[in-house]
Amino acid sequence: MRVIACCKAAPEEQDIVVNGDGTLSFERAAWKFGSYDLNAVEAGRQLVEQVGGEVIGLTVGGEALASAKLRKDIISRGLDSLNIVTVAGSAVPDTLQTAQLLAAGLGKVGSYDLVLCGAGSSDEYTQQVGNQLGALLGIPTLNAINSITPNGTTVTVERVLENEVQTLEVTLPAVLSLTSGANTPRIAGMKDILAAGKKETTETTAAALGVDTTTVSAQVSSVVAPKQTARQRTILEGDVAEVTTKLIELIGADLR
Amino acid sequence: MSENIWVVAQDAKAAGELCAGAQALGGVVHAVLLGCEEATKAAAANGAQTVVTASTPAANTLLEGYADALLALFEERGARLVMVQASTTGRLLAGKLASGLHTSALGATTLALDGEAVTVTYLVYGGTAVCTRRIISPTAVVTVGGGVFEAANAGADSAAIEQLTVTPNTPGITLKATAPKQGEQVNLSAAKRVIGVGRGFGAEGDLDLARSLATLIGAELACSRPITEGEDWMARERYIGVSGAVLKPDLYVAIGISGQVQHMVGVNQARTIVAINKDKNAPVFKQADVGIVGDLYTILPALTAALR
Ligand SMILES: Cc1cc2nc3c(=O)[nH]c(=O)nc-3n(C[C@H](O)[C@H](O)[C@H](O)COP(=O)(O)OP(=O)(O)OC[C@H]3O[C@@H](n4cnc5c(N)ncnc54)[C@H](O)[C@@H]3O)c2cc1C
Ligand SMILES: Cc1cc2nc3c(=O)[nH]c(=O)nc-3n(C[C@H](O)[C@H](O)[C@H](O)COP(=O)(O)OP(=O)(O)OC[C@H]3O[C@@H](n4cnc5c(N)ncnc54)[C@H](O)[C@@H]3O)c2cc1C
Repeated sequence: MRVIACCKAAPEEQDIVVNGDGTLSFERAAWKFGSYDLNAVEAGRQLVEQVGGEVIGLTVGGEALASAKLRKDIISRGLDSLNIVTVAGSAVPDTLQTAQLLAAGLGKVGSYDLVLCGAGSSDEYTQQVGNQLGALLGIPTLNAINSITPNGTTVTVERVLENEVQTLEVTLPAVLSLTSGANTPRIAGMKDILAAGKKETTETTAAALGVDTTTVSAQVSSVVAPKQTARQRTILEGDVAEVTTKLIELIGADLR
Repeated sequence: MSENIWVVAQDAKAAGELCAGAQALGGVVHAVLLGCEEATKAAAANGAQTVVTASTPAANTLLEGYADALLALFEERGARLVMVQASTTGRLLAGKLASGLHTSALGATTLALDGEAVTVTYLVYGGTAVCTRRIISPTAVVTVGGGVFEAANAGADSAAIEQLTVTPNTPGITLKATAPKQGEQVNLSAAKRVIGVGRGFGAEGDLDLARSLATLIGAELACSRPITEGEDWMARERYIGVSGAVLKPDLYVAIGISGQVQHMVGVNQARTIVAINKDKNAPVFKQADVGIVGDLYTILPALTAALR
């Protein structure tokens, strides 16, 4: 089975600093692949461990993807090779363009049985790239997939809706977006990280694939931190009986 | 905006809210009701001039099988904005529609008109920031969650009713079985007091410590995401945060929760926030009105006893 795991790198959100005026500063934020995209890599790895084959990473992004550390990090999580599509300059593709770039990237990868996406990217979390990609490719497409069982030319999947769980049979090739609870991504060991450096990485550009990323469907007007409610920040420490009494004193009104 | 806005809904609540929202935007409102004919009234009472009903598909097919029919409908009738209920099914439909209409599907926590352009806002970077976007493609496709708009139910109830006669079809996908989701129905958003439990709890049984406190003060029990997804200790409906429930209770008590932005964004509108955590440097203390630095295993029994 040839599985493609789609992964997107984004700045580590814990390290984004909110400036005084509410704007964001990314200077201290290292880039990392989204934690939900690791579910796609893991699901691919587990399938291949069962039925054989390979897991190929596919990523679209800007100059941050030049980082050898970033590449090794995602490969070490269970990829056999990595395909990178770079977008020049400051252009950030929208979900349609990302889907177009992934579709074009898939063309380069050759044949595939399954394309896996995460529940959502760690920055925008639109949860749409997989859906839009599947529609462009014109192959079976589903989101919110919690488990995948291979049976030859089809897979049986479990899909989680708001009030029910569906069991579906899906003909391959297909595009499936996972839930974040679908699996627990493995932690890479030293051996995996060392081996990652030797795995094949292929690079191409949006321009070479003929996808135009100059006109997006929606312009960003602003990205600012939401207004925070001012908090008292009273900290109680020490004797258990004392702190609980003090707490009840302070918030008594909210408890009655 | 005197242009056509199409609402796509799967239940009466969403149909009412989304139609009311579309009307508030000043559009000519039309609704497609997927497998929920009974929502016709809610749509019409909230301004829908046309209601197109699509019947529940045969047992082995999905509502998503209507995607091509909807695309044809929107192209034929003209749609400036398509507002889709933000369910799992709705999101998949929105993605398919967006690709077909050559645009990007976006989510929205607010939706407004800025001149003639549709503007949406939604949370990015795990809730660190709010992104405002102006959609410039000829058609906008947006998924809208519950509570973004309020149903007004003040309309004339005089919609033109049509029926979508196509048979839904999802080639290559067969629905084999449907099982109701395990677990109870919860309505956290109605709760005035909420207790949130996190990974600071070492075992599922230990949650009883928080349960006793919740019962005592009449609070609903909620949690951080790892408690439902890593551990499976509580129903998914009970986790709070950017990808879970967003609440506005009078009191929120975070116990054994570190206070990551993805979680706190779901409760930062609470009137009072209390945090109990053994790590004095936990980020949750910066966002709390009162914080107790200590072991939940000793604090909780003491607190419950003191309140009794
Ligand atoms: C600084 C900045 C500026 C932006 N400006 C604009 C703008 O002007 N207009 C606009 O419309 N959008 C803009 N965007 C949004 C950006 O276009 C989206 O992040 C992108 O389209 C992907 O959508 P998503 O991140 O929500 O992915 P989701 O739909 O949440 O991702 C779902 C899954 O799809 C896969 N996937 C997603 N993206 C990729 C990728 N790049 N490579 C490989 N796999 C992927 C992953 O498996 C992921 O888990 C901007 C984003 C940033 C950070
Ligand atoms: C895209 C994305 C979306 C996400 N969405 C959400 C979301 O919607 N909601 C959500 O909750 N999370 C979400 N997360 C996960 C989030 O980033 C955090 O990982 C999660 O909230 C942490 O949960 P926690 O606080 O329970 O666990 P931890 O961060 O592990 O914290 C446990 C805390 O318990 C304390 N503790 C341990 N033992 C004791 C004790 N005996 N007594 C007292 N305190 C103790 C520790 O000091 C620690 O602070 C998301 C992540 C991503 C990447």
